Formats: sequence, C-alpha cells, structure tokens
Amino acid sequence: MALASGFRRTSTALPVPPALRRKRRRERARTLGFLSPWLIGFGVFFVYPLLSTVYFSFMKYDGFRAPVFTGLRNWTYVFSDYPFFWEGLRNTLWLVVVMVTLRVVFGLGIGLLVTKIKSGLGFFRTAFYLPYLAPPVAATIAFAFLLNPGTGPVDHYLGKLGLPQPGWFNDPSWSKPALTMLAVWGIGDLMVIFMAALLDVPTEQYEAAELDGAGPWQRFRYVTFPNISPIVMFAVVTGVIQTMQYYTQAIVAGQVASGIIGGSGEQFEPGYPNGSTWTLPQMVYNLGFQRFDTGSACVVALILFTISMAFTSLLLRRRSGFLTED
Amino acid sequence: MPSSRTSGRTRRLAAAVSLSATVALLAGACTGTDSTGSGDDSANGKDVTITFWHGWSQDNETGAINANIASFEKLHPNIHVKVVANISDDKSEQALRAGGADAPDVVSSFTTDNVGKFCDSKVWADLTPFLKKDGIDPAATFPAPMLKYSQFQGDQCSLPLEGDAYGLYYNKTAFAAAGISAPPKTLSEFDADAVKLTIAKGDGYQQLGFMPNYHGYESAPSHYLSQWGAGYFGPDGKSNLATDPSVAAMLTWQKNLIGQLGGFDKLEKFRTSFGDEFSAKNPFETGQVAMAIDGEWRTASIADDKASLDWATAPFPVPDALASSYGRGYQTGTIVGIAQGSTKQAAAWQLVKYLTTDTDAVVSFANAIHNVPSTIAALNSPKLDADPNFKTFLDIARNPNSTTTPASINGGAYQVSLQNLGYDVESGKQTDLAAGLAATAKEIDAAVNQAK
Amino acid sequence: MTDVLSTPVSLAAPGGARSAAARPARRRAALQWVAVHSVAVVAALFFLLPFVFVFLTSVMTDRQALTSDFWPQHWEWGNYAKAWETPGFLTWWRNTLVYAGAGTVLTVVSSVPVAYALARFRFRGRNLALMAVISMMMLPPQVTVIPMYLFWAKQLHLTGTLWPLIIPMAFGDAFTIFLLRQFLLTIPKEYVEAARIDGCGEVRTLLRVILPMAKPAVAAVALFQFFYCWNDYFGPQIYSSENPGAWTLSYGLESFKSAHHTNWNLTMAATLLVMAPVIVLFFFAQKAFIEGVTLTGVKG
Repeated sequence: MALASGFRRTSTALPVPPALRRKRRRERARTLGFLSPWLIGFGVFFVYPLLSTVYFSFMKYDGFRAPVFTGLRNWTYVFSDYPFFWEGLRNTLWLVVVMVTLRVVFGLGIGLLVTKIKSGLGFFRTAFYLPYLAPPVAATIAFAFLLNPGTGPVDHYLGKLGLPQPGWFNDPSWSKPALTMLAVWGIGDLMVIFMAALLDVPTEQYEAAELDGAGPWQRFRYVTFPNISPIVMFAVVTGVIQTMQYYTQAIVAGQVASGIIGGSGEQFEPGYPNGSTWTLPQMVYNLGFQRFDTGSACVVALILFTISMAFTSLLLRRRSGFLTED
Repeated sequence: MPSSRTSGRTRRLAAAVSLSATVALLAGACTGTDSTGSGDDSANGKDVTITFWHGWSQDNETGAINANIASFEKLHPNIHVKVVANISDDKSEQALRAGGADAPDVVSSFTTDNVGKFCDSKVWADLTPFLKKDGIDPAATFPAPMLKYSQFQGDQCSLPLEGDAYGLYYNKTAFAAAGISAPPKTLSEFDADAVKLTIAKGDGYQQLGFMPNYHGYESAPSHYLSQWGAGYFGPDGKSNLATDPSVAAMLTWQKNLIGQLGGFDKLEKFRTSFGDEFSAKNPFETGQVAMAIDGEWRTASIADDKASLDWATAPFPVPDALASSYGRGYQTGTIVGIAQGSTKQAAAWQLVKYLTTDTDAVVSFANAIHNVPSTIAALNSPKLDADPNFKTFLDIARNPNSTTTPASINGGAYQVSLQNLGYDVESGKQTDLAAGLAATAKEIDAAVNQAK
Repeated sequence: MTDVLSTPVSLAAPGGARSAAARPARRRAALQWVAVHSVAVVAALFFLLPFVFVFLTSVMTDRQALTSDFWPQHWEWGNYAKAWETPGFLTWWRNTLVYAGAGTVLTVVSSVPVAYALARFRFRGRNLALMAVISMMMLPPQVTVIPMYLFWAKQLHLTGTLWPLIIPMAFGDAFTIFLLRQFLLTIPKEYVEAARIDGCGEVRTLLRVILPMAKPAVAAVALFQFFYCWNDYFGPQIYSSENPGAWTLSYGLESFKSAHHTNWNLTMAATLLVMAPVIVLFFFAQKAFIEGVTLTGVKG
C-alpha cells in the first residue's frame, strides 16, 4: 500500500511536459513489471497472512468448525493462563543471550585464527566451515548420538578423563548448553564473514600500532575491533533474529533424546526435558498444529513478529549501509 | 437380523479352514445386504477404495496389520484398502481437519487421551448409528474400561483396537539374591523391596531397586495414579487434583521413595545413564534396575532382544489402604475411527467393524504384537498366547478396578500439566504441595475452558 | 574509526628501532606459528571429530554401535545399503531433489528482476520497498504459518504435496533479492549506460550485460537457496508431512531412528547420506559459496 501511494505521488507532484510524462509512465510500468513477482509475493505471503494472523488472534478457531469471535480471550489466556508462554520466552531469551554471544565470540576467534594461519590454510578453513553445511536435522541427530548418555562417545571420553558426564539433551540444565554447542559447531558462516572483514582492515594501521608499541590485545582493541565493529553488530543482530526462529534443532533434539519420534505415532512432549528446550516458534506449532488452538497460536505468532521486527529496525538503523542508494 | 449376522461371522471364521466354500457364499451375502447411511456404493458391490492411516512402524506390526487387511479384502472383494503406516496423531488430525480428497477415511491413534478432542471437535464421526444399525451392543462386546476410553460424553467416536495394560516387571535373580520370595502387593512392601534390591557402587548404583523418577520411562504420574484409581475431574468437569487426596498421596509416596533410594540428584544421574527405552539397552533388560513399571509389550521386547534375564511379571502394587484392589493397573490402548469428512463411511465402517470386533482378527493381531485384545470374546479366546508373563496383563485388563485416564476436550493437556508439577515436586523446586496442586488445577481448568 | 590511529601514527618511532628487535621478533614469530597452529589443530578436531565418530559408527554392527568402541571391528559397508533400502528413503530423496531443484530455479528467475529494479531504477518508495524486503527476510516463518496453512489446505487443497513449498518460490525470495541487489550495486553504472546507448532495453540490458557479470552472485544465491530447501524442516513438517509420499529427507530422517529400533549404526549411515550431497556440492562450488557468505555480511 505504501508503495502504491509512493508511485502516485511521483506522478502528481508537479505539472510535467507530456513527453516527460509519457516517459515517466513507461518507466513506472517498467518498474512495476520488474517488481511484480515480489509485489505479489509480498501481498500473498506477508501482508495477507499477517492481517489474517491478527484476525485469528481474536477468534476461536479449531481448523474444523467455523471461527467464532472471542475478543481478547486468546490474549489473556496466553499471557496469564498458559503456563508455557513465559517458560518459552525465558528459554528463547536464554538462547538469544548465550547462543548469540558465544557464536559471535567463537566466530570472531576462529576468523582471527584463520587470518593468522600460515600453513595448511585451505585445510583448516574447510574444516572450520564444513559443519555449517551439515543439514540441521542430520547434525542434531549426530549430536544426539555423540552426547547420548551411556552410549555416546563424548560421555565415554568424559568418563575416562574423570570429568562429569552430564545428561546433555536428557538433562534440563544441560539441554540448552548442548544446543549451544551444536550452534557453535556450525559457525562457518560467521567465520567467513569475520575473516573477510579482518582481511579488509588496512595493514598500515597495524604497522603503525606496532611501531607505537601496542601489544596484541591493544592492537585488537584499538585497530581490529573498531574496523570490524559494524560486522560484529551485523552478526549480533542477525544472530538474534535467527535465534528468535530457533526451531528445528530444539524439536529434533528433544524428540531423538526422549526416544519419542514424531513419525512413530506417539505424542511428543515438546521442550523435552522438562520444557527446557521449549521456544516461541515451537509454541506456535504446538498450539496451532497439536492443540488446534489456532487463535492462541496467532497471539504467540504476533508476539514473535513484534520482537523480530524490533530487532530488524535496529538492524536498519544501526547499519544504514543496508539502504545505500548507489 | 443384523446381530445374527455378526455372530454368524464369528462362527464362520472359527470354522473357516474347513468351510471355505461357505465362506465365499456368506461373504457375498454379507456385502450384498450391508448398507449404513451415508456415502458410497460399497454396499451394492461397487468397487470402493478407502484409505486407512495408522501409526505402527515396526516390521512385525505393519506385517500383522497388513495380514488383517488382506483377510478383510478377501471378505469384501469390492472394498480396497490403501494403508499408510507410521502416521502420528498430529499428522492425521491435521489432515482430517484440512479435509480434501487425500484425507484418510479410517484413522487410528495410540493416544486415548485425544479421544475427547476427536469426539468433541466432530473430526471423528460418531459410530453409534453404525453400531446400532449392525446390532452391535458395545457393552457386551468391549471390556468396560476400553469402551470408556474410546468415548467422550456419550459420543462413541472411536472403538478400541487392542489395548495396553501396565504392571510390574521384576528380576527373579535379584529377588532371590535379596531374599524376596514373592512380588510386593502393597506400596510399603514395594518400597521395602526396592531398598533391599538397591546395591550401591561408588556414589552411584550397581543395581537400583526401582527408578521412581517421572522421567524413568514408564514411571509417569498417570501410570502411578491408576493404583489409587484417581479420577482427575470432579462431577462438575473441573480438575479435582487439589481436592482428591490420592493425587497428593501419590506425589508424596513417590517423593518419599526417592528419599529412601538415595535422593533425586543421585537417581537422576543414574537415569541419564540408561540406554534407549525401546532397545536392548532398556535398564530393566540390562539389569540396571531390578523392578520396573511397564506395558505388556515389554514381554515381547525382552524375548526379541534375547536379554539374558530371569524375569516375571505381576500387577503393580497398590496403596496399603486399598490393598483389596490389588490386581488393578493402568489401561490404555489404540483406537480406531472414521473421518467425519469421509464420503465412503459405509465401506470405512466395514473395515472398522472387522478390525475391532472380529474375534480372530483381534486375537491374531494381539498375538502378533503382544497387545491386550480388545473384545470380551477375544480376551476369552483359547487361541490367545498363553505365556504366563503375558497373562498377567490380560488379568489386569479384565480387573474391574483397572482405570484409564479420562478423555478431555483438550486431549492429554491436563496430564502434561500434572507431569510438570510432578517434575517440580520430585526435584524439590516445589515444596508446597497444596499450593502446587491448586495452581495446577487452575491451569488445567483454564486450558479446558480455552478449548471450549 | 581511523582517528584512533591517527595520533599513534604521527608519534611513530623511527624505523631503526625495528632492526634491533629483529631476532627476538623472529623467535616470537616462530613461537606464534606454533601457538596458532596448535590452536588451529585443536579447533579442527572439535569441528571434524563429530564427522569421524559418525562415520565410524555408521560402519559398525548395531551391537558395537551401542558400545564405547572407537574403531569398528568389522567394516559393515552393508549398513549404507540397508539405510538406502529403508522404505521411503528413495521417495524422500526424489522429493527433496524436486523441492530444492524447482525451488532454486524459480527463486532465481523471479528474484533477479526484482533485485535489478531495486538496485538500478530510481522510483519513489524504493527505500520503503527495500525495507519491506529486509523485513520479509527477517520474518520468522512461524509468524505467518497459520493463515498460510489454512490457505493451502482449505482454499487450494494442496497440503500433503510439495506445491505449498515450491509455488511461493516463484514470487521472489527476500534473502535472494537482497543479496543480488547488494551485488548489483557494485557493478559500475557505465556498463548499463553503454548498453543503453547500444539501444538495449532494460530487459536486454539485464540479460545480456548485467547477468553475465553477476554470475558469481547468482551462483551463490542459487547455492544458498538449494541448501535452504535441502535443509528445510519446518516447511515440510507443516505442509507436506501429512502424506508420507511427500516427505523430504529432513523430515523423513527424523522418523528413521524409530523405524530402525533405534539402531544407531543405520541412523548414522542415513545421516551421512543426507549430508553427503551438500558436502560434495560444497567442494565443487567452494569459491562461489564463500563469496556468497561474504556478501551477506560485508559492506551493505
């Protein structure tokens, strides 16, 4: 809608000679033509479902019988009577804080490491990058095996070293750290981004700092970091947005670790163990497609939308480079 | 007239081997006269293809159900069944609500907890008219608890298709070593035995008498609560967790047992060393625990896994105050129903009727997957597997005191709420039992109310 | 950013100081080499050992897979054949290839003109359109899933097929549009103007001049989209999983463990079979891929 009014304003702003007007009309048609696939997509897959989600958040609808208007009932239910909401929000926030921080720190660390490697660079770079490519379901199942208490190799070697053998995906206080470990394993994307950014830092600046007697930490603090801080910012904000959508790994880990598999006909208790891996996106699935409480699912979806868009606007503001003209 | 046809078929199947010619004749007659209300032309002998979705996935299970379907198709040559295996409740419900030509006509579910949701939403069709039309008296055909868990507020939207019963598994070698001669019948005997059977090793266990923690595979609150016969909901339909003393009694008993066996953290650490429940690494099969609460299917799994174990089964013990009810246990089972949106309900009903009421079909399927048969006739069938360890569960299923978790309009959500409270109580996060129960009851009522 | 340094530079010590410190510097460099490479080896172990364990387990017997053994007693290569022969595995492969293949082609075809318009055309509301693209890119798929599911299920009766996954790809993908636009901005304007002087229309300019220059970026976004589809779990779970004939690898793999009595060896074999195409593709297209990732983060 906003777009349409933008076009209209262009054409009515000033009286223009007919030839120019024809040209402009042609240009407008051309622009519209080029944009058309996405304009349709934007309407059908963004604006319509978003409005529809708002609509259903005020309805009682089980996907089978006709929807009934129930006012704010779904909203009050989710906020005050649905005990899993705050739990899911807490877990999501935990993941946002810990997982994003560790991913950025390790991604930057590995990126730095790669820039320092003199021998076997190709091998190391590939080794660090490869896990990022592992399909999430496959990677999660592999980790569930590696960390499986009693039978997994990690458990075995921890025991041999006399270290504690946590239950990982089976222990409510270790399940989120286990997911975090899985996320840190797949850090290849951040490594490449940071690596490119680090290589872009002008070497003269390092030389100058070195002449000035700056140690490695000072060089990082005063030369490297200021140069790459926009990239760090970018990594943090996109990381937050990705983590808000965190779904596949959490649900697969819970299902595989609990031994209850979605396909086997048994009912799965999401967030296993004890709701510790229960996140906002899973809540939309659980409410919408397991409980068939479409209205409440839409309430959670809108909350998820609001938080994600808040972070997106941060991204748009802080990295104005996102919107460069030419 | 219709009722004579049903019993006629039972007899006919019993004699099927010698009278195959008659079978063919009768089968023709059967399909010729059937007609149940809406839908298709299967009753007139027209070819109809129906879709049947079920959740079984193991080879022996799918093999057994396919064999039953093949016998059905032989009896009804004009009805063809397209079977889709390994479907979860979520998926079938999603498909049924979405509707459309590809949605299933006949569906099954392992989760009787969902019956309330299936019936109340009318996603599964009420089978009462079909039962009436064919003169089947449900009360005379199905065991009472199974009939109860397949209906919701009088709406019989599903029928039981084999059942599960829960009992006690115990390790006879460990019993002998600890000087225990017979399985415990009351919970105080049980607690004492569990302590006697526990052998420490370092700061862990070499052998644990029993794993009471709610995550200890089948040791779920609802399975324990059946030994008290808890009802979950009062006559007003509201959760009675806070007022029914048996719930607090169960939570207290379990918490005490945890204390006697070494405390929650120690047990939890041991629990996470367990192998998968449905593998040869099951802690009872490996000897890590000497007693376990489990379903009747374990009798078959122990044989399949060739575990070197001397074991036996008994009903799970009951609270001392209810000693006379010994023999009871938790019951549940698979249910099967017809899609409300199906356009081939007459043919679908023929399949449901065959699977759930044909004695031979029920018995052979029960033997194949070691489940409790779900008709009175099948429970009394001489063809039923006579293994004494399996028979324990047949007796539990027949016991009039055995109970199941009631159907609720929002499925098993109330059990999830109770489970969550259980986790908080056992770990010591929630110490005020009364307050916890009141909050959980409120949470359950709010969820039920939200689903209305 | 540079002013942090401008002061130190002006106060820099004369170059002579460096040669005096040359020898310790060389030793320091050697030490640094050892330190860096030790850390790199440890890190490489963390990243690669999971693959090694998964592979070794995949060729063990099911009995040995439950032990803590590291090395297989017998190399059970037959596990791969068994995993391959799992009922449905071939269907999952076919569906995943169809979804990823068709999805990638449609996405690229529909996104290129949009990205071009956003990068080259001047029109009011362009910034707004770009912000809309970014918003869509950041939108969690769960936000719109309820109405979308109802739309595909109730209006079009297409749930239980791959269509609800594929059709939306024909209407541009926000991430692809954004990346392509970022790349197209880097192509000097002069090329476009030269083409225009030669009498090319916009469509021909795009096809003849711009696209050949944007090949690496197009390759990168195509790879991204292919991997996205290959890895997608949420989409198939919602839209196609109610029909086992429309399961994809991601969704099917998850049910694999239950279908095999939790046999870890076969599960690991299947897991590697699902990872393999992605990894093979990566080795063939490594350069385009790394360039693509860099493009996502660097210089908006």
